[in-house]
Amino acid sequence: MNSVGDGQLTFQFSAAERVEQILSQYPDKRSATLPLLHLAQEQVGYLTSAAIETVAELVEVHPGEIMDTVSFYTMFYTKPKGRNHIQVCQTLSCSLNGADSLVDHISEKYKIAPGEVSQDGKISLVKVECLGSCDTAPVIRINDSYYEGMTVEKFDKIVESF
Amino acid sequence: MAVFKPILTRYIHRKDSHTLSGYKNVGGYKALEKMFKTMAPDEVIEEVKASNLRGRGGAGFPTGVKWGFIPKDSQKPTYLICNADEGEPGTFKDRLLLSKAPHMMLEGMIISSFAIDCHLAFIYIRGEFYQEYKVLEKAVEEAYAANFLGKDILGSGFDLDVVIHRGAGAYICGEEMGLIESLEGKRGWPRIKPPFPAVEGYLMCPTIVNNVETLACLPHILNRGADWFKSIGSEKGSGPKLYCISGRVNNPGVYEEPLGILLTDLIFKRGRGLIDGRELKAVFPGGSSSAILRADEIDGLQMDFDSLSAAKTMLGSAGVIVMDETVDMVSVCLNIARFYEHESCGQCTPCREGTTWLVKILNRIYQGKGSLNDIDMIFEITDNIGGLIDPEASGGSFGKTICPFGEAVAWPIRSFVEKFEEEFIAYVEKGVDVS
Amino acid sequence: MPLIKIDDREIEVEKGITVLQAATAEGIEIPYYCYHPALSIVGSCRMCLVEIEGMPKLQVSCNTSIGELPPERKKDGKYDMIVRTQTEIVKRERENVLEFLLLNHPLDCPVCDQAGECFLQDYSYKYGRAHSRFLEEKRVRKNEYLGSNVIINHNRCIMCTRCVRFTREISGTNELFVQARGDNSKISIFEDKSLDNLLAGNVIDICPVGALLSTDYIHKNRFWNLEEKKSICTDCSVGCNILVYSQNNRIFRINARENHSVNGYFICDIGRYGFHRYEDAEKVTSPLIRSDGGFKPISWEGALKEIYEQFSRSKDGEKHQIVGIASPFHTNESLFMFGRLMDNIFKDKSIIGKLPFIEDYEIHFDSGFRISKDRSPNRQGLLDFCLNLEDEILQKVKTGKVRLCYALDDGVDRKLDEEWESFFKSQRFLVVQTYAMTPLAKLAHLILPGPSPMEREGTMTNDQGRIQWLKPSVSLTNKTRPDWEIIMEFMNTVGKRELKYSSVNEVNLEMGERFPSYRGMTFFKIGYQGLPKKNIATSRPSEGGQAGNTVT
Ligand SMILES: Cc1cc2nc3c(=O)[nH]c(=O)nc-3n(C[C@H](O)[C@H](O)[C@H](O)COP(=O)(O)O)c2cc1C
Ligand code: SF4
Ligand code: SF4
Ligand code: SF4
Ligand code: FES
Ligand code: FES
Repeated sequence: MNSVGDGQLTFQFSAAERVEQILSQYPDKRSATLPLLHLAQEQVGYLTSAAIETVAELVEVHPGEIMDTVSFYTMFYTKPKGRNHIQVCQTLSCSLNGADSLVDHISEKYKIAPGEVSQDGKISLVKVECLGSCDTAPVIRINDSYYEGMTVEKFDKIVESF
Repeated sequence: MAVFKPILTRYIHRKDSHTLSGYKNVGGYKALEKMFKTMAPDEVIEEVKASNLRGRGGAGFPTGVKWGFIPKDSQKPTYLICNADEGEPGTFKDRLLLSKAPHMMLEGMIISSFAIDCHLAFIYIRGEFYQEYKVLEKAVEEAYAANFLGKDILGSGFDLDVVIHRGAGAYICGEEMGLIESLEGKRGWPRIKPPFPAVEGYLMCPTIVNNVETLACLPHILNRGADWFKSIGSEKGSGPKLYCISGRVNNPGVYEEPLGILLTDLIFKRGRGLIDGRELKAVFPGGSSSAILRADEIDGLQMDFDSLSAAKTMLGSAGVIVMDETVDMVSVCLNIARFYEHESCGQCTPCREGTTWLVKILNRIYQGKGSLNDIDMIFEITDNIGGLIDPEASGGSFGKTICPFGEAVAWPIRSFVEKFEEEFIAYVEKGVDVS
Repeated sequence: MPLIKIDDREIEVEKGITVLQAATAEGIEIPYYCYHPALSIVGSCRMCLVEIEGMPKLQVSCNTSIGELPPERKKDGKYDMIVRTQTEIVKRERENVLEFLLLNHPLDCPVCDQAGECFLQDYSYKYGRAHSRFLEEKRVRKNEYLGSNVIINHNRCIMCTRCVRFTREISGTNELFVQARGDNSKISIFEDKSLDNLLAGNVIDICPVGALLSTDYIHKNRFWNLEEKKSICTDCSVGCNILVYSQNNRIFRINARENHSVNGYFICDIGRYGFHRYEDAEKVTSPLIRSDGGFKPISWEGALKEIYEQFSRSKDGEKHQIVGIASPFHTNESLFMFGRLMDNIFKDKSIIGKLPFIEDYEIHFDSGFRISKDRSPNRQGLLDFCLNLEDEILQKVKTGKVRLCYALDDGVDRKLDEEWESFFKSQRFLVVQTYAMTPLAKLAHLILPGPSPMEREGTMTNDQGRIQWLKPSVSLTNKTRPDWEIIMEFMNTVGKRELKYSSVNEVNLEMGERFPSYRGMTFFKIGYQGLPKKNIATSRPSEGGQAGNTVT
């Protein structure tokens, strides 16, 4: 069958009150989908099928509709990413200021192509679109933090701490 | 013209500009008090209309007029959504306000909510802005604690809740109908209009979507009056404007200037000219969705809605991206096309198929395997996605897609080929293989 | 009512309808893909663009509704809207959209199941460019199962999302969704939640191209080989309108046919795939008489002679009772004839009953679609034409009389429990009129071959009291005769009548004469959409001048 999902069976939100609080903020349940998905992803690192089903139950829609939503957004992952998820902006201002060589550098350094996770699960690399920080191009985002005005040297320094 | 002093960004260099006390110290939340004491909702709408404030999100629609579209007899609740999804390449002004002046935006949201009788407002902030989200979360908390939000705000009897909603990585969710769908928990496929959001938006209720910067203007309009606001800038556009400058300039950043400032001033004065003193080659005046301008087209050009549309481009998000003489236009065009291909939501036939086709052709040209016919095809495909830049010349045939993304692809791509055709031809003729 | 002009035609339309609806109703073709009258409007295919005077850009006709203009703003002094569907700009736009759609569409019409009824093929021919200008390689994806009966060919999908909206808005089952975005979008299902619901097959019907395929039909035949017949489904008492496709008297598939008083645009999978059970049945196509524990064929003359022997000859002193078993699977015309035979010929020697009705859960979909709990097509007709129907027939015949029984068989769906089986076994002579060797037929002394449901013709009355024509989808084979005709022969034989109806229409006319609520329900009158039964009370009709000629 043409089905998607990772086959994971169980998931439970660890922050039950936060779930309640999110649901209570909106006039309807389904609007809580994105925040609940963010929360689930923070917990597991990516969105397992079980997590998707749990969210579907909470917002009272078919899990297929949640997968529909999940698959639309680049920040939702249905496969594990690295512990340090490196997102390199490849859009114009960053590209004009050397983003491409950054990607090459990271690729070579960790022997991964964009879209891949390193063998030890430590690093994953993706190319992303304009991060809204073009004045400090080139910009990368590692997990939830921006690193601006990047150079190869600066990058190597940052990752030393990982 | 008097020397312009920044209004929105005046205090952002202060360490505590993002805090409630920092904002209050510089006169924050005064407009709110004044409004509750002296104004009725309709008067707020009239004041905003009189100020000539036009939306800062890209389309430049008059804000007060938009508010006026909310049906008067609606039994349904009204919603306000602050559009903080800022994703237009070359744009980073909202991010600055979000992190440095969140209370100014919040005060604007309260004003707007009061005007349109909204009691639940959302801030849709792009998912990647996690740090800004944290700042905002704190600001909202503070505002609740000080009773600027919540029940019976400042004893006015007016209630307002604000919910911060994080996006999850989709440029199209900045488009108001895509944003609304996304807020509803769905994929961000823009809904077809009509119905317009002011009539049937979020959960099919009347909804106003306003940009961060638009909202941040509101406290100042109420504080100092519509006439004052209108006096800033020119006939063609009033008020202060945040301009973003990036690309190959010495001093990239966000600059606040009146609407209508000269593009050359922005690039050469505020941006301090091009890196290594190179020559200017071309510039996007309003984010990557605006048609580019060649260096010889920008003399005397004012940065306002009408002047730029007269120059067959647009102010858009005021994201000025500067390209110098060394920049390869074919590769930039490909970069932009690839962006749009990646971000097309994919529901409209021309946009979904056309963006992919453009990338394939541009890739071929870039790899030195293109033909002159390919160049002609770019003109045709862009016309078929988003029509010509000049609607008259296109015989009225534009608006070919559900949302303006179609034009946002077509116009810039076409402008590259139109204005730098010789570079594309050179690629084709020389069969340059850069890869 | 707004007055509009589409091309050169002036049309008065209902306020609020869309330009596309107005044009379609008027027979003006505006090509479209994503619009479907039963589904919400998304306006995404961009195929239906038209020019509207006074609008700066082309408009999608599927989302442009027609209102009324104040007198001073009327176009050309009188129109509320002026629409042009054939201008150069419109034509060019259609070409462009088609060109985009064909970019990744395989040119495999010759092997595509949808060929001949595909709107991509059709529109490309009518509205497209002569040749593709796309040099790039096409995107290729493998076919996949979406459900047990539905396969998707992703390469042909044009992302109109009709199928997705169907599962959200009509079946309410939500299995289908769009995965990813942009050019990577594809129709998917989640994990093991496949497209398996009772309405699933409809997505195949509504897919405007050949992207959704039925495993039941895939590559079995080509559209142009098939004969299309309009009929109604007989698998429950809703009586959905259908199209039956056959070749050489073999049915290949069944599609929904539009009827807004009955089924809207859709049918359920019970009705869609139900015809296979007739294929699997052991057919009866000649009169058969019990012989040496089995059956052997006899001629119709022989069969009628046997009936005469058994049912007409007075046997001295014997009191016998004639039991008629009617069936809600039969047409009104047959039941009418059957009622006449029992009530007017056998009169009080007869008793008329039925087997228990075949019932299941009533299934309601939020969209209003319904599968009746009554899984026979014509309970209403049975009640209308067999006025003396005994509910408790098993009790009523326990009085030690000799029993003769004439049963109209329900067909392959009928199972017999022990009680009924022993009842039938206890008949001195059992005539079963059927199309298959059912458990009931196996108990018969004499089997009369009637048409299968797909061969029958006549009216049916659904559970809402709507009378519809069941049209034969395939023709009668071998020695099979229409049910009403067999009953007529029965009447002529045992009642010494000379009835000579030559078609079901004549029976229908006679039926209308005697049952006022069915008066005038001719095919000519009710056509392919049916009509509600008239609200007239039925009194016991008599056999008129011929009355009294009874059997002893
Ligand atoms: C493709 C696309 C992306 C957009 N992105 C944004 C955005 O990131 N932020 C924004 O405020 N408006 C964006 N807009 C404009 C919005 O649709 C809407 O016009 C705006 O939020 C209205 O606010 P305003 O009237 O205050 O400008 C976008 C429009 C399009 C077509
Ligand atoms: S124009 Fe593009 S982005 Fe906008 S709705 Fe259509 S496909 Fe989506
Ligand atoms: S499979 Fe058919 S109905 Fe579904 S989206 Fe594709 S083309 Fe439309
Ligand atoms: S609902 Fe009843 S009549 Fe309609 S298709 Fe299904 S079984 Fe046949
Ligand atoms: S282009 Fe990289 S942050 Fe905008
Ligand atoms: S039918 Fe109107 S856009 Fe598809």
